[in-house]
Amino acid sequence: MGRSTVGRANVAARLLAAIPANYLLTSLAAAALARLLWRGLGVDPANASVAAMLASFVMFSVLALVAFGVRSTLKLWLWMIGSGAVLSAGLWLSLASGGRL
Amino acid sequence: MKDSLRQSMALFHTWSGLLLGWLLFAMFATGTAAYFQDEITRWMQPEVTGSADPETSAQGAVRYLNQVAPDAVSWYITLPNGRSATTQVYWQPGDGTRGKRGETSAVLDQTGRAITVRETSGGFFLYRFHFDLHYMPVLWARYLVGIAAMFMLTAILSGIVTHKKIFADFFMLRFGKGQRSWLDAHNVTAVIALPFHLMITFTGLVTLASMYMPWGIAANYASPAVFQEQVFGREPAAERSGRAQPLVDLAPLMRAASAGWGGKQVGYISVTNPGDATARVLLTRSPGAAIAARGETAAFAGATGKALGGHTASGAALATESVMIGLHTGRFAQWGLRWLYFLSGIGGTIMVGSGLVLWTVKRRARLPDPARPHFGFRLVERLNIAAIPGLATGLAVYFLANRLLPGDLAQRADREIDSLFLAWLAVGLWGMVRPAGRAWTETLALAGACFAAVPVVNALTTSRGFAASIMNGDWLFVAFDVVMIALAASFLHAASKVAQHRAKKAAAPPRRTARKAVSQ
Repeated sequence: MGRSTVGRANVAARLLAAIPANYLLTSLAAAALARLLWRGLGVDPANASVAAMLASFVMFSVLALVAFGVRSTLKLWLWMIGSGAVLSAGLWLSLASGGRL
Repeated sequence: MKDSLRQSMALFHTWSGLLLGWLLFAMFATGTAAYFQDEITRWMQPEVTGSADPETSAQGAVRYLNQVAPDAVSWYITLPNGRSATTQVYWQPGDGTRGKRGETSAVLDQTGRAITVRETSGGFFLYRFHFDLHYMPVLWARYLVGIAAMFMLTAILSGIVTHKKIFADFFMLRFGKGQRSWLDAHNVTAVIALPFHLMITFTGLVTLASMYMPWGIAANYASPAVFQEQVFGREPAAERSGRAQPLVDLAPLMRAASAGWGGKQVGYISVTNPGDATARVLLTRSPGAAIAARGETAAFAGATGKALGGHTASGAALATESVMIGLHTGRFAQWGLRWLYFLSGIGGTIMVGSGLVLWTVKRRARLPDPARPHFGFRLVERLNIAAIPGLATGLAVYFLANRLLPGDLAQRADREIDSLFLAWLAVGLWGMVRPAGRAWTETLALAGACFAAVPVVNALTTSRGFAASIMNGDWLFVAFDVVMIALAASFLHAASKVAQHRAKKAAAPPRRTARKAVSQ
């Protein structure tokens, strides 16, 4: 009984990471990448946006698999929260320093 | 570590595949049919024969629209191509109302006369159902379809990780071995067309990408409209000046545009403010003329015919996106490639279907009491019956309804579509009330019989039956009949296999069967 409760909590934590948290993180990454390509690397904004959009589907699907593939659920969440924080900070800085079209 | 990864991927594959498998099956089946949407439409309009010239058709469409909607905000004209013989027109009424679809659109022949016999949505309905579904708001449908496609993509990727001997299994298809055969069928259809499945799923997501992942655009643009304008060069329509001025002949404009695109033909025409001095004509390259889906455009002043420049979206990412959409829709494909698309799509449909069946076959052996399975198992089994033979019967009935419904029935096109869903629903309910094993045999046989009836009913109700079509070299109608017979044969064969399997199982004592299934 105790084991199966732990198992269920573990699956729930991974499902949460694989779908909603993954979408949030991927969206942040897509937005940050679009900003980076345009503002940082000089790609025109339309192509920067579309490139980030195309890449985001690869990222989402790989991250969904990773969420079930890695051993430690705790490490998975720490990594996701950490990268989410870095991406949010970068995105916020970029938007604050130069607006949108 | 490696094995535990494979195990977790196998688990992921099983459940992500099951959860949206039924929807994916319907998407695969109708999407596959949609590769022949123009041909299906031609079959469903047997009164329309021959081919149409794009320039004459454009002139005919303008004559029609000048009579029906002279003061429209805009006209949209889809020209006939090598595969279709009709022109589709759609207009936005000048009084600002959004009329019902049937009231602001028409299908024309090349002289510009509306085709009113046997009103049908044809293959276009199957194409739209593939991503818009039906009887529900388009927006919800597209989100649902997107979620299903994402599950599909992850199911494919996890399936690859799960698969130990991907190349050995490529050559392995063992018949008559129960669970092993279902696994083989799933593997063979998955692996043979693996590049196709990956491509079609990814590019499918890309076709509606800005809906699913708008954040890349939102990061750089305050409004999606600015992005649209920059990429597609869509200008807001000018105000009508009130000075009437007839539209110039479109044929020379089409020739000029085509010459500018290295001979590629015009596929779409839109006219804003028709009949006014401010009229503007926008020509878009035919999607059949190149892989990239977002064709080149050329704009002209409608009153004078003066070229106003064109627009081609440029840049690596936009070009990639455009080619991906083109690869998904396959509009550029000639006959050989089109059949390959179709066959790969059938392979994908079988892959999804066999995966769904495999879920129950695998679990049946492990059931504590195979005679009385638990609720979840029964639910999956019944939904499989509704999804696979149910949809197949519905599609066959759609074609039958096209031939059998009275030609002058009100809202005939909608009634054809209703027939599809009524038949689908009926088979689904049948599967609920009958014992599962018997329901499989009966519904598979029904689907087969309905497909077999299509060529017969066609021969009885039109002058374009199989024999006549062969005599006339009408290969489209011949091929349609052949595909129907092939589908009928496949479903009837499947029905007899299930019946044999049931007979064998009934002959053996139940305990031994259970043990045998476990050892497999």
